[in-house]
Order: sequence, then C-alpha cells, then structure tokens
Amino acid sequence: MIRRIPGLDTKAATDLAVLHPFDPNGSTAPDGLLVSRWMAKLPLWTPLALAALIFAWPMAALAQNFTYGDAFDTLLRWMPFLIKSGFLFNVLISFFAMLIGTLLGTALGLGQISLNPVVRWFAWAVTQTFRNSPWLVLLFIVLLAFPFEIVIGTVIIPVPDWMKAVVGLSLPVMANISEIVRGAVISVPTAQWEASESLAFSRTQTLWRIILPQCFKRMIPPWMNWYAILTMATPLCSLLGVEELLTLTRQAMEGADNHPELLVPFYSFALLIFFLYCYPIARLTIRLERRFMVKL
Amino acid sequence: MKKLFSAISVAALLATTSAATAAQCTNDTWNKVMTRGKMVVGVKADYKPWGFRNESGEIVGMEIDMAKAAADAMGVDLELVPVQSSNRMQFLEQGKIDMMIATMSDRDDRRKIVGIVQPNYYTSGTNVMAPKALGLTKWEDLRGKPVCGKQGAFYNKIVAERYGAEIIAFTGNAEAKQALRDKKCIAWVYDDSSIGSDLASGNWDEFEMPLVSEDDNPWGLAVPLEEKNCIFGNFMSGLSYNMLADGSLVELEKKWGIKPTQFLADKLENFADWLEK
Repeated sequence: MIRRIPGLDTKAATDLAVLHPFDPNGSTAPDGLLVSRWMAKLPLWTPLALAALIFAWPMAALAQNFTYGDAFDTLLRWMPFLIKSGFLFNVLISFFAMLIGTLLGTALGLGQISLNPVVRWFAWAVTQTFRNSPWLVLLFIVLLAFPFEIVIGTVIIPVPDWMKAVVGLSLPVMANISEIVRGAVISVPTAQWEASESLAFSRTQTLWRIILPQCFKRMIPPWMNWYAILTMATPLCSLLGVEELLTLTRQAMEGADNHPELLVPFYSFALLIFFLYCYPIARLTIRLERRFMVKL
Repeated sequence: MKKLFSAISVAALLATTSAATAAQCTNDTWNKVMTRGKMVVGVKADYKPWGFRNESGEIVGMEIDMAKAAADAMGVDLELVPVQSSNRMQFLEQGKIDMMIATMSDRDDRRKIVGIVQPNYYTSGTNVMAPKALGLTKWEDLRGKPVCGKQGAFYNKIVAERYGAEIIAFTGNAEAKQALRDKKCIAWVYDDSSIGSDLASGNWDEFEMPLVSEDDNPWGLAVPLEEKNCIFGNFMSGLSYNMLADGSLVELEKKWGIKPTQFLADKLENFADWLEK
C-alpha cells in the first residue's frame, strides 16, 4: 500500500500548509546527473525511431527538380567526409578538453580543500569564475587572445583553431571537475580523517591512501556526465569557424547548391550522430552510478 | 677607446640606414613564404562556385585555381585556409594567412585595412530573388519589409539603409532560401550571379530576379597592407593583370559554370596586346 501524504498527493487535512524546507543537499536538491539520467531513460530503440522519423519526413511538396530523395542521396555521398573530417574532430576536441579539464580540475579541487587559506581561496575563486561563465564567452576569449603560432627561436609551433577550442572548452570543464573532486572528498565521513590521524597517518597520506581511493568510484558517474555535456557543447566551436561537424555540414550544403531540402537531412544527421555517441555513455553512467551507490 | 667609439657610431649609422629602408619595404610576408616554401591563402569554402568543398572534402573553385596559379608561379606549395567574410581581414592582419582571394568586394574602408591589389579580378552586383507572385519592380518595394540575407555581406547594410528593408541575416544560404520559401521574408538579397545560376537550375520556377542589379562592385584579392607596393603586391598585381589579359579568367569562369560576365569580357578587350590587335 502506498502511503498518502496529505497536502501533497491527497487533499490537505488542514489549511495550514506545510512546506518542506529547501535543502540544497537533500532530497530537494537539483540532480547533478540530470542530462545522463534523462538520456539513459530513453528506450534502446530511440536512435532507430529518430532515424526512421527523419526518413519519413513528409516529402517536401515545394521541391521541383530537386526532391527530398535527392537530398538523402546527397547526404549519403557527403557522409564519409562529414564523419571523418567533422565528427571525429568533435570527438578529438572533447577528448583533449576532457583530459586537460580533468587534470587541472583535480588539482583545483584538491586546492579547494587545502589547509592553506590562500590556496583554498584562490582555488575557490578560479572554480567559481569558470563554472559561472558562459562557455561561448570563454571560447571567444581564448580564440581571439591566443596567437595562431608560437615562435621560439627558429622553431615555429602552429596553434590551430581546434587546439584553441580545446583550451577554451577545458576551462569550464576544469571548474566543474574541481567541484566534483571537492564534493567527493567532503562526502567521505570526517570520522575517517580522525581515525587515520589516530593511526599516525599524515594529511597527505590520509588523502592519497584512504580518502581519494574511495572518492574515485563516486567521481566516475558525474565525470562521465560532464563528458557527455562537453561533447554536446563542441558544435559551439562552429560559431568561431573551427572546422568541425556543424561548420562542415554548412559547407557541404553550400557545395551541394544550398537546396533548402538539404536542411532537414543534414542537420538531422548531425543530431543523430551526436545522439548515437552520447546515448551509450549516458546509459553506462547511470549503470555505474547504481553500482557505486552507497547501499544502506 | 677611440676605436670602440668609432665602431659604435658606424654600427649606429648602419642601424639607422637599415631601419630607414625597412620602413619602406621589409617584404616580411614574401620572405616568409619563400623561406618556408609554402604560401597560406585564405579562400572561401562556402561560396560556390568560387570556393567550395567537393564531396571528398577538398576546397575547389575558381578562386582556388587562381591561388594555385600564384603558388605555381612562385614555386611554392599552397595551403588553403577557409575564411569567412567576418574574419578574413583579421586573418590577413594577424598574418595567419599570407594572402586572400575570398570573394571580397573592393571597398574604400577595406583598403585601409588590407592591401587590395589592382586590377580587380571579378565583379558582382546585388540583386534579390523574390516570388513572381509578389511582382516586385523596384528596390523601393522592399521598404519596411523583411528581406533575408547572409551574415557578413556588405550589401545587407546598404539595402537596409538605402531602401529601409529589414534584413534577417542567416548563417548559411540554405537557411536563407528556406526562410524565403517559408515566407518569412519577401526576398533574398545576394550576388546577382549566384541568383542567376539558381534560377537557371529549374528549382526556383516560381521565383524571379526582378530588380536592376545595384552596386556593381569589383572584387579584389589582398596581400598585407604594408606589402601592397612591395614585391608581394606588385607580383599579385602582375598575375591579376596577366590572367585578365590572356583570357585565363574567362576560361576559369567557363570551367566553373559561371554565367559569363561583361566585366571579364571588357577587361580582355582593354588589356589586349596592341601588337595583336
């Protein structure tokens, strides 16, 4: 039998309404894995349904010589190029941005729990700045502020646009990973710190040998969640002219004479390919989250 | 001590003379291209048929053929960098590209930023594509009406200011044309040569190019501003002249299926060799 709660799912027994207090860490807290949870909930046949829907799109009545079927033929011919030179670049950008973001974010997150107030304050300020800045603004700053090549003596190191995009995207990721690390360390009961201190462990030893190994498992699901979010954010780079899937999709449509019939197939293809990449990640994230959940 | 002093003054003298020469022509970009054996040219990758991608992803087009001709004459390799109307001049200023052949209209304000080389190699005018049903006859008909366009085109502003049209700018032409079909705007403002080839394709039978082309504006290729009157600029001037005079641009126009323009025919006539006349 389901317990009914008066005022919530049955008629209130009294007109003195009672609100649950807002607890940012309790059951009313926003879900950190919202994106992955939503995506993982979609049934396994979603990608197929999505593909079917795109193909079943009403044959554009306005088309004259150039039919919707022609548009799909065009898409099929462009697909290898769009995947090889476009989507793989999105994956590459997300991969390196995640790598840099994780390394810097971990350092920053540990800085946030430092005993040194200066380090702690600095790490906190950096984290909050980048966590709360619009991604596109960060991208613009990095892309315009960085040189296109670095000359050291006679050696010329070119800095391509996509590498700048990696740096630009790694900044918000860094800040969010920093919060994940901080949160994971704090989530370990303080009694463990006291217990290890009584066993004569130093603070560094406690952190590396006792606390962090337990944190690692807890950090994996939110870390993967951020990877999915980052991957879906990579098309932002197209606004800055970085050659990735969306930029090349536009150029491909131009190369195919800009028939408006191309819009739905080409953009749907971009949607589908991102979904196919992120969906398994989301499902795995939620599975790992369940497995690593603290069971009471 | 005296010797040292005279040595310093000689060195100083040398330094000042070389600085004076340097102020005129350093030929930095030209030298860089020659040392590296590679020229980086900014071209369009979204402007068929002047610069676009083929299905294997290579950038091809009429302007790319011109860039190839330049690189071949200089004996260097060619690297193509896709640019957009909004960033092409910055790329050249920054030195990210050595030269630009990117469908750029030769405008007074642009000459102050980049070294636009004479003679101009092409021209295009502004016109609109509109449904025949609307029966537009003059530019004034656009006043106060929504008109679709592509971001970064200079004539968007002109049409808005001169005729009071409300420009809705899209990132791509496919989007702009879809908006025209969806009746979000009464016309699509673009290059007359592009509109001409669209209408000829047979996909736009209910549409027309009803107005008289305006702002017939020559296109210019550009080198860095400080090298306009140095080796690089002079070289590109010569190349541009030769390609106009020997008809190779007319041939390229034919090769890429562009409707022959009066501009190139006139130049061919004007620049014709007097001995062969």
